[in-house]
Amino acid sequence: MKKSGWGVWIVLVAAFLMLAPSGRAVAAEPIIIGCPLPTAFLYGWDAERGVRLAVDEINAQGGVDVGGEKRMLKVELIDTRDLEPGVPVSEALLAVEKLILEKKADFIVGGPVRSEAALAAMPLLSKHQKVSIVTSGVLSPKYHAMVAQDYDKYKYCFRIHGEAKQLVTEIMDCLEHIKGTFGLNNLFIMVQDVAHARAAGKILGDIALKKGWTVSGTEIFPTGTGDFSMGLIKAQKAGAQVLSLWMDMPESSILLKQWYDMQLPALPFGSTLAAAEQPGFWKATEGKGAYCLANVVNAGNAPSNATPWTMKFYDAYTEKWGIEPEGLGSSSSYMAIYTLKDAIERAGTLESGAVITALEQTDLMGVYGRVRFDPKSHQVIPSYDPQEGAVGSIFQWQDGKRVVVFPESIAMGKIILPPWMKMKQ
Amino acid sequence: MDIFIYGIFNSISLALMALGFALVYGISRVPNFAHGALYVVTGFLTWGFLRTLHLNYFLSILLAMLITGIVGALIYQLILVRVRGMAISEIIASYAMGLAIIEGFRWWGFKGMTYTLPVFVEGSVTIAGIPIDWQRILVVAVGGAVVGFLWLFTHYTKVGLALRGMAQDERASLMLGIDSDRMAVVAMSFGAMLAGLAAIMLLPLGNIVVEKGYDVLILAIAVCIVGGLGSWMGAVVASFLIGFAQIFTVVYLGAHFQMVVALLAIIITLILRPSGLFGRQKELEERV
Repeated sequence: MKKSGWGVWIVLVAAFLMLAPSGRAVAAEPIIIGCPLPTAFLYGWDAERGVRLAVDEINAQGGVDVGGEKRMLKVELIDTRDLEPGVPVSEALLAVEKLILEKKADFIVGGPVRSEAALAAMPLLSKHQKVSIVTSGVLSPKYHAMVAQDYDKYKYCFRIHGEAKQLVTEIMDCLEHIKGTFGLNNLFIMVQDVAHARAAGKILGDIALKKGWTVSGTEIFPTGTGDFSMGLIKAQKAGAQVLSLWMDMPESSILLKQWYDMQLPALPFGSTLAAAEQPGFWKATEGKGAYCLANVVNAGNAPSNATPWTMKFYDAYTEKWGIEPEGLGSSSSYMAIYTLKDAIERAGTLESGAVITALEQTDLMGVYGRVRFDPKSHQVIPSYDPQEGAVGSIFQWQDGKRVVVFPESIAMGKIILPPWMKMKQ
Repeated sequence: MDIFIYGIFNSISLALMALGFALVYGISRVPNFAHGALYVVTGFLTWGFLRTLHLNYFLSILLAMLITGIVGALIYQLILVRVRGMAISEIIASYAMGLAIIEGFRWWGFKGMTYTLPVFVEGSVTIAGIPIDWQRILVVAVGGAVVGFLWLFTHYTKVGLALRGMAQDERASLMLGIDSDRMAVVAMSFGAMLAGLAAIMLLPLGNIVVEKGYDVLILAIAVCIVGGLGSWMGAVVASFLIGFAQIFTVVYLGAHFQMVVALLAIIITLILRPSGLFGRQKELEERV
């Protein structure tokens, strides 16, 4: 009797220990952030680093509040290879589908990065009703135009960084500033044979002509070009004073080396010029990248004081990854996670419809200014004033440093000309 | 004038890229599809010795080329010798090796644009109003020297003559006591070092990226098919044909058609003269 009493007690205690909740609350399922990114390329790995930094910070603060329940964020990443020459768009689509179906991603953040691949992924996101925020590359104006044209179908797609038309506006304003300051007015356009660059080059050429510039030529280079000599000679013969460069391929650094070696009297002005955006560019080109201007799309990708958060992000990124923010996808990818967190918390659910509504109502002061989306096109609203919208950032390589020179509201220095151009002047 | 100057440079660059491939095929009849990978290997090895171990530049080059030569020999000795004579297997095996090497570099983190080599001579010069940098002039000089050296080597040295004998008639060479496999290893090693030399000369003009391995392979194959597989002289002539055709295309049609030239050259050659300009493998069929 006594024995069986003890036995009952032992069984009861064991059952209690097994079934009772431990001191720690049962962890809720993490929110899966699917990142389809070309990790071998700058615009892939800078976006990944931006995302991971934000995720780590948010998780360290206890995660995301979803309707009163704290949930952690988890990153699932698949290499899309969509920036590599010769890789078909279908590869990127497979990556997106795998993230949704196999990795059970709740949201898609980052890519695909190549405009062609991102555009092709839009119907896929609609089919699976997955909210997506593109944060790196994807500069084609077609992306948000498609959302505006067929809202019901493409309402899941958001873009949190500047796009080609906005970039062209910023570049054109900066060019006007250069014309006013140095009297340069002959523009030669060099673009990579990809959708966003071709479109941007054409838009820039048309606007420049209207603004009284001489557009002396447009040269289109295939992805992977390793020699730009003939294009540069064409520019020289045409009397170019500014070279507008639209190319994200790594080989663009070859172009700048050749430009320097030829001492071409034309100021290189890049957009999505991946090679020149990286902090290691100066060392890699042994200073031959001097004087090159580069548009890094949003503030925070080069040092400035656009908002109190800008340098906080810049320093946190540098500390975590051992390198300064590297490319146009760094600050926007970081902000996308915070923007998504903000929207989920306001929606109180992960349900797509509610999150879309919350994202459309976003009004958040971030790394590169005020983050708001156009409710019709889901494009982030740009501005030269960080208090009003997402601010762009154009820097120039000066003495081994990336000095932000435009827009005026966040400029840290002034544009300077190479000595061989000063002499000609 | 600009077409002439940059046409010469472009042609010599193509010749440098293709000679190694042509040499290996000429001697061992093995199409070495790891050729592009060996180009990249030399680049990264030189970078590693120079930037990480801080060795002297020329010592770094020497070590990198020696290692590349050994890698080439090992690829033949350990892999290709087992499938020798089976054309498809040779292509698959060598391409797989190349793929493993190139993608291995990517996997190890060799990505991005910051891997560069310094030029040998800084600055540029203006010839007839056309600016050209000294490194490109050096490429032309070295390319010319390599072609000259190869001719002398294959005409006046014992090993060179043995290689030539193998290239002309393997069975007759075997009857004269020339070791076919040994010569193939020498050719493979030599071809790898030639790919390395091309890398050493051309990579300082840009940066070292893994994708370059695929580009170099495509261009080398194009040059060798047009020139005639196995013909070194054919490779040189084809380099000039394709090199100038590319420059003409850039000037008169636009830079984005440049990549089409090499592929178009392959197609046209295979339709009109499958043996290539100096090739002999389908000579009888073509005569018939």
